[in-house]
Amino acid sequence: MEGVAMKLPSFKSLAPTAISVASTFSIRRSFSVARRSSSLSATITADSEPVSLGHRARKDFRILHQEVNGSKLVYLDSAATSQKPASVLEALQNYYEFYNSNVHRGIHYLSAKATDEFELARKKVARFINASDSREIVFTRNATEAINLVAYSWGLSNLKPGDEVCAPLVILTVAEHHSCIVPWQIVSQKTGAVLKFVTLNEDEVPDIDMLREMISEKTKLVAVHHVSNVLASSLPIEEIVVWAHDVGAKVLVDACQSVPHMVVDVQKLNADFLVASSHKMCGPTGIGFLYGKSDLLLAMPPFLGGGEMISDVFLDHSTYAEPPSRFEAGTPAIGEAIALGAACDYLSDIGMPKIHEYEVELAKYLYEKLASVPDVRIYGPRPSESVQRAALCSFNVEGLHPTDLATFLDQQHGVAIRSGHHCAQPLHRYLGVNASARASLYFYNTKEDVDSFIVALADTASFFNSFK
Amino acid sequence: MNTSSPLKVFASPPLISTPRTTSKAFSTPKFSPKLPKRLRLLVSEFRSLTEPIDRVKRLLNYAMDLAPLDDSARVPENRVPGCTTQVWLDIKMDELGRMRFRADSDSEISKGFCSCLIWILDGAKPEEVMNVRGEDLAEMNVGVHGKAQSRVNTWHNVLMSMQKRTMVLFVDADMAHSGRGRAPPHQHDLLFGYANGRSYMESSEGQHDYSISLLPLYYDFTI
Repeated sequence: MEGVAMKLPSFKSLAPTAISVASTFSIRRSFSVARRSSSLSATITADSEPVSLGHRARKDFRILHQEVNGSKLVYLDSAATSQKPASVLEALQNYYEFYNSNVHRGIHYLSAKATDEFELARKKVARFINASDSREIVFTRNATEAINLVAYSWGLSNLKPGDEVCAPLVILTVAEHHSCIVPWQIVSQKTGAVLKFVTLNEDEVPDIDMLREMISEKTKLVAVHHVSNVLASSLPIEEIVVWAHDVGAKVLVDACQSVPHMVVDVQKLNADFLVASSHKMCGPTGIGFLYGKSDLLLAMPPFLGGGEMISDVFLDHSTYAEPPSRFEAGTPAIGEAIALGAACDYLSDIGMPKIHEYEVELAKYLYEKLASVPDVRIYGPRPSESVQRAALCSFNVEGLHPTDLATFLDQQHGVAIRSGHHCAQPLHRYLGVNASARASLYFYNTKEDVDSFIVALADTASFFNSFK
Repeated sequence: MNTSSPLKVFASPPLISTPRTTSKAFSTPKFSPKLPKRLRLLVSEFRSLTEPIDRVKRLLNYAMDLAPLDDSARVPENRVPGCTTQVWLDIKMDELGRMRFRADSDSEISKGFCSCLIWILDGAKPEEVMNVRGEDLAEMNVGVHGKAQSRVNTWHNVLMSMQKRTMVLFVDADMAHSGRGRAPPHQHDLLFGYANGRSYMESSEGQHDYSISLLPLYYDFTI
């Protein structure tokens, strides 16, 4: 990696494991500043071998440069949570160190600054997903809370049987995350709404034709994922929205696995609601957001009650604030929201199209390598000209429990993957398995990470085979 | 009548996740005085295996010793809740009032856990089963660092299941027996330490309170 950031004479020795902690930090600061002012694609080594986005980005993530159980950490669990770059951690630290104060209430300097930064973060999120107005962004604790907000606030008032005395219909898929199933079950128990689930077709993706046929006049809501955290497939949200709107139904998009990895434009999608989590997109935990179209949010009753969301409070009644405040009761996760804004900045600086392009390449590499390991069954569609997979693979190895696999990978090789049902029990039941292993990548992973994983996987399979 | 609170028997501090020290100098574990000898032996054995991979191998060896479980025992009632792997636990009380356990799992490592637990507790008296604490098993933990409570902590889940179902069988036997007079107080101490936080003293008006829907106090089964 010679030739990059020539001002730094010690840059040659920037192999992460070789460098001391203090110098890594200072070099990384300079590097990330330099990077912002120059295009990443201009980074070329003296050997003319372009350095991948993964290699360049890794330097911003100190947590990736460590050993676990005597091996270099290979973190392949970004679908569960992503790692955070230095700039996001600095933003959080700065908030608490220099201007921590409660927002929206105080008059003093610190409070005004905190409020400004908090609202600026809201604008950054709005811009990140191309919402037309930052008031369409409601900060929540995470995507799960955002879906619950829609379920309790919009769902309870809109999913009741109407004059026709026929139960309103909510359409989901069997591949939904629990957070996009359970709230609707709770609502349906209260309102009598009926839930119907789209199953998978022979390519192991939700059957779009079935979805289209299911949509009828009775449909009030279609709540679906954008990208599946197990199957790695994506749904054609724009088309689904058109079909739904034709019958007057609303669409909620669970974008947890799409917003961090690709350009998501809510105006283009025309979805009514969209949810995402900060912690999957290089932001901190404890914050997520709901995007809702203004007219919908304006008509929705509050979700949680308390301070911030009120206009006037009397003993026997209260009046409520306008959205988004109406849905943000209590003191928000201020520092976290600001750090989420910093995450949006960081990702935008790299460019979401660039991140997506890199991940498509990684996804193909991961799939090909994994598919070549004997006795491995990968779930979801095969990648092709028309089918792009996300950079994750849920899989099983014949005769080896995914938990045993994940344990061995961690203990013996320092490879971090996930095993279990990935909050998608109905999907696993549908696929006829109890659990699966999942390796999920993000733009700070490299092909070398995939190679390490595959070597470790082969070693694990032969280790357990030797006990049979 | 036992005037000291029977709850004291089980009032160990809540199991808090503590970081595993990198130092190899482990402090002497404070075992419950009533702990089965086999547990001490097993813990010593695992403590001598300082490389985690050696523990995995040892567990896999123990897994091979586990007697297979018939399909008839692989029923939902025998599933151990909270495990990410499937674990079935079959438990009976024999004619001498001792607990007999059989188990199986679809995961080799979990099988190894079960094999160890069964070696320790098969044929034990109910109070011996109840006296084992999760932290006594922590030294044998594999794949879950330190003493963390997490949903993958099969040791805890299987042990909890063994203890809960032991209590149920004990209660059933006791109730069947109580037609011929009240069971001795010390056996109720055993129960009520786990049952809804009520002490024997409170429910000593002649009513037996067998509220066993609440589990021993500080374990969390949520997924």
